Amino acid sequence: MHPGIEIAEADPAADRRLIEGLADWCDRYTPLVALDGKDGLFLDITGCAHLFGGEKALLDDILARFFHQGFDLHAGIASTPGAAWAAARFSLSAIEEGGEEEALAPLPLPALRLDAAARGGLESVGLRTVGAVMQTPRAPLARRFGKFLFLRVDQALGRVEEPISPRLPAPPLAVERRLAEPIGTMEAIEQLVGLLAATLRRDLERRGEGARALQLTLFRVDGAVSRIAVGTARPLRDPNRIGLLFHEKLAALQDRIDAGFGFDLVRLSALSLARLEAWQADFSGEDISEEERLVLFADRVRARLGDHAVLKAVPVESHLPERAAAAVPFAGQTAAYEYTPTPNPSPQGGGGLCSGIQRQASTISAREVATTSPSPLWGRAGGGGKKPHLPERPIRLFSSPEPVEAIAAEVPEGAPASFRWRRVFHRVAASEGPERIAPEWWRGDGSEETRDYFRIEDEEGRRYWLYRQGFYGESTQVPRWFMHGIFA
Amino acid sequence: MVTHAAAREAVFVLRQKIAKIEGVLADRLDAPSVSPDDAGGILLRRNGHAAGTGRSPLLRTGAESFDAALGGGLPLAGLVEIHGSQTRDAGAVAGFALALASLLLKEKAAGPLLWIGTAGIFSETGFPYLPGLYARFGIGPDTFLFCGPDRLQDTLWIAEEAARLNALSATFLETGGNPRRLDLTATRRLHRRALQAGRPLFLLREAASVEPTAAPLRLVVAPARTRSRATLAGPLVHSIGPPSFTVGIGKSRNAASGEFILEWDAAERGFRERRQEDHGTENIGIVVSASSDRPHPAPAARTLLAFPARDPDSGPIGDEENTPHRQPSREQYETHRSA
Repeated sequence: MHPGIEIAEADPAADRRLIEGLADWCDRYTPLVALDGKDGLFLDITGCAHLFGGEKALLDDILARFFHQGFDLHAGIASTPGAAWAAARFSLSAIEEGGEEEALAPLPLPALRLDAAARGGLESVGLRTVGAVMQTPRAPLARRFGKFLFLRVDQALGRVEEPISPRLPAPPLAVERRLAEPIGTMEAIEQLVGLLAATLRRDLERRGEGARALQLTLFRVDGAVSRIAVGTARPLRDPNRIGLLFHEKLAALQDRIDAGFGFDLVRLSALSLARLEAWQADFSGEDISEEERLVLFADRVRARLGDHAVLKAVPVESHLPERAAAAVPFAGQTAAYEYTPTPNPSPQGGGGLCSGIQRQASTISAREVATTSPSPLWGRAGGGGKKPHLPERPIRLFSSPEPVEAIAAEVPEGAPASFRWRRVFHRVAASEGPERIAPEWWRGDGSEETRDYFRIEDEEGRRYWLYRQGFYGESTQVPRWFMHGIFA
Repeated sequence: MVTHAAAREAVFVLRQKIAKIEGVLADRLDAPSVSPDDAGGILLRRNGHAAGTGRSPLLRTGAESFDAALGGGLPLAGLVEIHGSQTRDAGAVAGFALALASLLLKEKAAGPLLWIGTAGIFSETGFPYLPGLYARFGIGPDTFLFCGPDRLQDTLWIAEEAARLNALSATFLETGGNPRRLDLTATRRLHRRALQAGRPLFLLREAASVEPTAAPLRLVVAPARTRSRATLAGPLVHSIGPPSFTVGIGKSRNAASGEFILEWDAAERGFRERRQEDHGTENIGIVVSASSDRPHPAPAARTLLAFPARDPDSGPIGDEENTPHRQPSREQYETHRSA
């Protein structure tokens, strides 16, 4: 072999990642970027070209930047995707609107994006250029080669609309700033977010809406793109508050964002909008109410620590202790929250607590929480008047009951005389029970066992909630004891 | 220290004068002739600004001698440290703090409570459990929020941000052991913010040894044996009465130490002090778990008396409220009609 040739294994996955990275980078020109096969990108620059000084200047800019990044690139501009595809691959830099037919006519058949079989068939009958195909009567050709051939021709000429499928949904609103001098510090980014949010506010005010989800896109000079998204519980318009949310998010991501040589384009987009009525401020100087402050606080904690950072305990209609309460993300007192269990919790933020709660919460269907919160039992209790007697429940519950070694338990159904929990010996001074809680037979596979709960006080006055799983004498298996909670 | 009554008075007057000059509160306990509510005309100064006349509002727990030892009650603003000597005591520590929150909510429902702890401490001592909180302390579904990030610095950050909020009734920060991050500076930051917001921040320290912090009040809480439930036939042996706590004052403004055994009365939502001679003589709670969530739920504790007070004007014995399904007999109905 020639020593100058460098051999590398083909890696389609890496190629795919590269082209997706390039597509991300092309977001700087237009939000509508679509992948085209393994080696191409479609950019819908409708309404974007003037921002770069016209189509020609835009094309030159793209070519120059890719060249400096070390890519050999062919690009073409046309008013239809099909014509642009051909222009890029057959070195016609731009095709004027209406000039597609003339421009495509001398090109060979591959310019029509046909598969090999159709191409071979056409060539065998002597049609070797696009122009030849276009001049031939349609009906016989369509009969022989299928409608697909003329669909391609019509798409290229603009007679049939051809949509491209952008990788990312286009945000309803976006503002951006191009920087002559790249920025790299967190302070500069935050300052810029404030400026962008102020611009965004005008658009939001005009629409009478506020942002429910915002995304900050940072384009690094060397082509890497970082996207940072925050969500809000209430529609948001105030630049200061948007700035605060991104401040928290950036503080949490500080180690993970590599500024490199700096960012030269920063874009703030509102991914989803919701109606926001304007409120007249009073003269007290308080711009937001206490409750809004609480919601903003929750949003900030969420931005920094993940979606499950601030939780609200809600009752659930179930007599099993571990299912009787669930934790849902807090979104203000009045805002209705629709609970959707997440099958795979996000790796960042949340963390250990969530894994515990998630396990409890994910067994509850969305409808169940929505319909049973507050459950009738609580509603009755909260409605004043007579308070029903609630069963005694511990104030702290272990997410997974801990095994306990019970010593000298009264057979068949009594409390133990002493027990060992977490390797410490406890002598029982008083006990109440049993309270028998049967499993929910309508749920699960029926393998759960009936539990007998005991309230137990040890000699130092600590109060525990122990349960025995299974019965004595029913099977050869000895019942096991567990610690499930702690009383006040 | 000063035993003679006249000398005490003189010292007190001098202290009042010093307090007026300095703009800070004098000791509360040494005021023999002034009621705890009377500020004595002191203009409080904080950071060089007048912070209003009078003392900061106090939360009365209902146990008189405990309140007196604290100089009238717990401060309603600022940091309050609650210590438990072992992790096993987490139930008592949390229960005591929640009881204080319940008292707060009883006085005015200002907003939800926020409980902050690391995921580690939650898995070690258990999650706060809503049905239990509601049954014991009346803390309902909409009043309880919690945060459980993985790292201690995140909990501290959340606590600092939450301490500033007026919308929260109280904030709880639960930590285990003696983390280095929770030093004098960190606690002072928490304390200043909570003071400014006028809301209490309870710092619950499980299995922690005493170390200097900025909290003006430190309570050491341990569980105490409960009294037995009382029945007509006397105390029921081996039964568990209302939650009891041994509360020691580790540090307070007026340096009065003491240890108290407090009982939480869930029905009245108040504390009661227990003395050594007290035994189960009154009706505390019910003996057996009553049925609940049934078409005819058991009535609440204490509404059903063995012999209801009979109103001479009403006809049959027994009141309508306790026996809603009971219909008057036909004769009674007729006489009622004709009357």
